[in-house]
Amino acid sequence: MVRTASEPRRPRPWARLLGLGLLLGLALPARALTVFACEPEWAALTRVLAPQARLHVATHAGQDPHHIEARPSLIAQLRAADLAVCTGAGLESGWLPMLRQRAGREPLLFEASDYVALIDAQPGARATPWSGDVHAEGNPHIHTDPRRLLEVAAGLAEQLQALLPAAERPAVAQRLAAFQQNWRGRIAAWERQAAPMRGRAVAAQHSSFGYLFAWLGLRPVADLEPKPGMAPTPGHLQQLLTSLRAQPPAAVVISSYQDPRPGRWLSGQLNGTPLLVLPATVAEDAAAPELAQWMDGLLRQLLAISGR
Amino acid sequence: MTYTASKSLLTMAATLLALSAAQAQAPAKPTNPAWQFGAVLDLTQTSRPLALGGRDQGLQLGHSDLTASGPLGPWLRAQATATVATHEGKLEKGIEEFWLETTRLPAGLQLRAGRFASQIGYLNQQHPHADDFVERPLLYRAFYGGHWNDDGLRLNITLPTSFYWMVGAEAFRGRKLVAEAAPGSPGGLGVSTLSTKLGADLNRQHSWQLGLSHIHNRREAALEDGDHEHGAEAHEHHHHHHGAQFSGRKTWLLDGTWKWAPGGNNREQQLRLGFEAARITGLNRFARGSDKHEANALSAVWRFNPSWEVGVRSDWLRARQPHGDHFHSVLLRERSLMLAWKPTHMQALRLQYARQRDAHEVENPSRGTWQLQYVMAFGAHGAHSF
Repeated sequence: MVRTASEPRRPRPWARLLGLGLLLGLALPARALTVFACEPEWAALTRVLAPQARLHVATHAGQDPHHIEARPSLIAQLRAADLAVCTGAGLESGWLPMLRQRAGREPLLFEASDYVALIDAQPGARATPWSGDVHAEGNPHIHTDPRRLLEVAAGLAEQLQALLPAAERPAVAQRLAAFQQNWRGRIAAWERQAAPMRGRAVAAQHSSFGYLFAWLGLRPVADLEPKPGMAPTPGHLQQLLTSLRAQPPAAVVISSYQDPRPGRWLSGQLNGTPLLVLPATVAEDAAAPELAQWMDGLLRQLLAISGR
Repeated sequence: MTYTASKSLLTMAATLLALSAAQAQAPAKPTNPAWQFGAVLDLTQTSRPLALGGRDQGLQLGHSDLTASGPLGPWLRAQATATVATHEGKLEKGIEEFWLETTRLPAGLQLRAGRFASQIGYLNQQHPHADDFVERPLLYRAFYGGHWNDDGLRLNITLPTSFYWMVGAEAFRGRKLVAEAAPGSPGGLGVSTLSTKLGADLNRQHSWQLGLSHIHNRREAALEDGDHEHGAEAHEHHHHHHGAQFSGRKTWLLDGTWKWAPGGNNREQQLRLGFEAARITGLNRFARGSDKHEANALSAVWRFNPSWEVGVRSDWLRARQPHGDHFHSVLLRERSLMLAWKPTHMQALRLQYARQRDAHEVENPSRGTWQLQYVMAFGAHGAHSF
């Protein structure tokens, strides 16, 4: 990390401080491409394409990416970045605008959702105080569909090439081609593996894995959230239980950042319906192969229920 | 800062604008978000008003607003906020914010001009609808009329450090700090501020922010008539609710925030600790070194579930009320306890109990106030700061 300033003291006369600040800012040395990734999956994808980039990862799999605070550390990280790689489609609307406003310096913004078709779009839908989190553009959790990840990778490679020196661009193209080839092979294998799951019903909390379900042909028949983004309430869970009893789903699926108690309760009440806690994304410091390992893990957890 | 300094600030700002226009490169892809519109409604029922409080007895329309914000071309961002509130039975309208800010100055510099909330302290810059308590701390109510927004200029720099470090200067007209200035007080930009904020994460679970601000106020409050009757009633006419009750030439403000979220997942659970302290000196031409206003606020809020929060706050105020050529001591303590239900992030229902003690030279301290507040947001209501 660039650490060019001494610890702060009581402000001296303003002009002196301002002058010091100007010097610090202008005397910034040339450095490696610095990327601010809003979510760990985009950090991993950046590592696939540009392993030399310096990365700041704003969130981790244990956090709800809708509810990140515009923490001072994140402002400093965005301030240092040349490129911000985020999901878009409203996922970061509660915190990224504030970071951008406070950073005093705007990196380029790459929004992955611009490069794929979104599911569950609600054209014209407006958020009201009673509607929960409305994403009119569609479900923003696109990274759980490996086919869409492939499309994002192509867009990101183009963006990275535009920012890197000419000498480094061919390497990015080569890494993209290798990733695409490898990933297409894996997608075919995952689809074969998941074939027995097609058509199975699942109860899920939030639309976090909506793309995964759509890709694998799983049917999300119930949402533990009464409204999108609203924490499960006892009344709503009771209703779900009543409606699901006749035909219990194959699993209750929640994400690693969600409180497991509501899901655990529902799975317990629906005797024999297992609770799956799926990791929302890869680790923040995930090396490139971990994207595939994460997807392998998701498939493994889901397949464990397919025999039921 | 002197008036010439404010002028040189303006000149500097103009130079910077020209500089950035010259340096600006076309972005690879437009990064400006679209214009956003939002509204906030605040309804509060108060059992009995607090001394120096911002809420009337009974049902009141609190600080409710309509906001529009968005880009103006590639180099500027603008925001406008119109507010309505009822005060003593009357509907009051106002323009709370109307500003332009640069987005592409080099070196992390930002220049803002127009009407906006000063960045002093922790709470002043936050929109009141995002507060954790129904009333602002005594510190803000006594020294800034609850929320100090003013017409002026701001120049900030976010330094390229691995931790967050912002240094900024502002110049304001200062009408809200001193509604009625003594003859000879400067017009124009009579108040200047200097602030710095520092912050970082300790690890995944702990984050902190520290701020230090200084206000230099060259507007001196008009003196009370020498033949006054002693007693708080005499001031009521001069000091309207919206302005500051106590002012002075120099203010130091220290603020600290500590947040802890188990596992870093602040959505589920979070503890927020906040501390602010202010000291104002140079009260007027008769003030001696020992004459000063002081106030502090200490708060703790615990989100124990995604939709529920409980919090306590302790406020303390000691001030010197000018009476001609001498001063009277003012003292007040306040404790607040609140429980909030936030079923979605667009709604909050808050129940609060506050009690004032040790009141000295303060009119109508409350021995117990219950408040029920409902805050509702429509549309985009902007991201909240830390």
